Amino acid sequence: MFEDIPVDVSPMNEGERIRSANMFVELAGPKSIGAELVQVEESVEDGKIEVIGPELNEMKQGEIFPFGIKIQIQGENLEKELEGVIERRTHELCNYVHGFMHLNQRDQIWCRVSTEAIESDFKLEHLGKALSILFKEEFTLIESIAVTLFTEEDQVKSFLNLAKEQYIQRDARSRELSDEDVDVFYGCLMCQSFAPTHMCVVTPDRTALCGAINWFDCRAASKMDPDGPIFEMEKGEVLDSEKGEYSNVNETIAEKSQGTTERVYVHGVFDYPHTSCGCFEAVAFYIPELDGIGVVDREFRGETPLGIPFSSMAGQCSGGKQVEGFTGLSLEYMRSPKFLQADGAYGRIIWMPNEMKQSLQEFIPEELWDKIPTEEDATSIQDIEQYLIDHQHPIVDRFLKPEDEIEEDGTQVEGEETKHEEPSNITVTTAPEISMPASGGVKIIFKNAKIYAEKVIIKRK
Amino acid sequence: MIIAVSGKGGTGKTMVSANLVKLLSKTGKDVLAIDADPDSNLPDALGVNVNKTVGDVREELKKDTSLGKIPPGTNKWDILDYKIMESITEKKEFDLLVMGRPEGSGCYCAVNNMLRKIIETIATNYDFIIIDTEAGLEHLSRRTTQNVDIMLIVTDPTHRGILTAQRIGELASELEIQFKKLYLILNRVKKVHEDNLKEKISQIDLDMAGIIYEDPAVTEFDLKGEPLINLPESSVSVSSTKKIVDKVLNLEKN
Repeated sequence: MFEDIPVDVSPMNEGERIRSANMFVELAGPKSIGAELVQVEESVEDGKIEVIGPELNEMKQGEIFPFGIKIQIQGENLEKELEGVIERRTHELCNYVHGFMHLNQRDQIWCRVSTEAIESDFKLEHLGKALSILFKEEFTLIESIAVTLFTEEDQVKSFLNLAKEQYIQRDARSRELSDEDVDVFYGCLMCQSFAPTHMCVVTPDRTALCGAINWFDCRAASKMDPDGPIFEMEKGEVLDSEKGEYSNVNETIAEKSQGTTERVYVHGVFDYPHTSCGCFEAVAFYIPELDGIGVVDREFRGETPLGIPFSSMAGQCSGGKQVEGFTGLSLEYMRSPKFLQADGAYGRIIWMPNEMKQSLQEFIPEELWDKIPTEEDATSIQDIEQYLIDHQHPIVDRFLKPEDEIEEDGTQVEGEETKHEEPSNITVTTAPEISMPASGGVKIIFKNAKIYAEKVIIKRK
Repeated sequence: MIIAVSGKGGTGKTMVSANLVKLLSKTGKDVLAIDADPDSNLPDALGVNVNKTVGDVREELKKDTSLGKIPPGTNKWDILDYKIMESITEKKEFDLLVMGRPEGSGCYCAVNNMLRKIIETIATNYDFIIIDTEAGLEHLSRRTTQNVDIMLIVTDPTHRGILTAQRIGELASELEIQFKKLYLILNRVKKVHEDNLKEKISQIDLDMAGIIYEDPAVTEFDLKGEPLINLPESSVSVSSTKKIVDKVLNLEKN
């Protein structure tokens, strides 16, 4: 198949790096420009390979050239939406070619050709040939393929501009990718070394709570490191799309948590919230007095409305425990359209640090922007309550509900009657199981609990 | 082949690493030097300017991630891969990768996990990898899952130095990574003390790879701030290291 190509073409060559000491020329990379782009078109001249600009045999040892890889494909069932997925394979397939190094993707590619390849008369034309064969082999949907390789600066520049426009459009589509659009989510067990029952559920609408990996990263990781801690899981049956509960996610988490966690709501803090390893960038916490939710991030050093700083709160809900009313999350998740949608999304958020709030300006609904207090407005429950009332936060409707409803769920807060005791010494309770009455129709059960309290609040009902 | 050089600060492990890089790159093979000790100065010893460390790359990626700067359609493996490649200082004789500062606060599980895999892949492209690592070895075990072929523990000829070496040897057996062979190198030895020291070493559970005699040239280079890699081959330390390399590598062949 590759008999016309003077170097070996096989998956065996993946991971090949070419040291500058063994390099003939560099293409694109940090000292030049470059891009790669796959385009679905209606008619493509199959097998056409074109090199625009100098071929390798016209270059001198040690030179750096701009570089563009344009791959045009056609097929009856090929859709534009597939361009990104197919293009992602360029990196891998280029690396099948021995003596050719390819790193990264899009307009951040970095390629090198080894001196050894040049000695065997390797040319860019051969790279094009190899790519056209490999892509057709990998994607049977491709009926015809043409590869153009650019090394001439002006040509690369205009190709780069074209490519960038495409990336922007594609990213806009990716941002729109939601949980409903995919059949698989990913599980990540990376933190099990210190939270042995924790599994992160990564969906298009919810990144891992460390913020480091999103659904696309997981897809890449599970491919790149199939025995690694990130794996694919079918969603299974949708049990509740609002809360984000899926049959197979439940089964998987039960298995991977050794039965500790049996159900999980991906998009809420009540009942069965996502467990937390300890890595989270932020914590969402229920404030029972006001029936709302606060969020605090790792960078915030002050006290939260619960009277404790981030670090203490993190200690309470980390380690893979499912603690109702608390969930660890990433800052990226706060940009997600499904952010705590089960609980009322931003409409239920009643406090967050100012710096966090500023960074989320585009994502907090405009009508709520002035209604959510930060530490600059209020930190104590009473002050927050007053702020919410003054600014007509929608949560006010919840805690100023008609009398009978309040009694039903017992969340009534009567300002004067509520007493906030001063912090006592740190109290530690250890118990195999503690059940606690809580509001909002929730019950909180602590299993094998160790409770560290910096403040004990005693309230008269 | 992966060779790790370890020892407490001031024992001359960086000098040994630099000499190893010098001697092994002379064989025409591909050599990668890894500076895995945040307190070491391997780049200086090799006479190399470093623009970016793995630590810098890690922080950059974390920052870009939390600011939401990374386009959704791209993945962080590839971005890290590129940035790490960019952080490698490439010389004709050898390449150098510097681990740099340790992590700040927050979660580094994901990024470290990716880094391990990436550095492992990079490492497969070299014939010799010399890792200058700190005595604690934590760095090493966090950075790689690959087994180390040879671990050289460098010590000065003091009683405390030898005890530390012994402890490093014990520590090595407790880590996730395996060290196929462990050797001791005695550095800065005065000929008059040689027999006495050999006697002492024979009582601890470490094989000796060799002795490096006290070398006035090293002191002189250090004073002038001259890179140790430029030490002449005829100098005591380079010729002693050469003997050690010959011995250790020959032993490995058998």
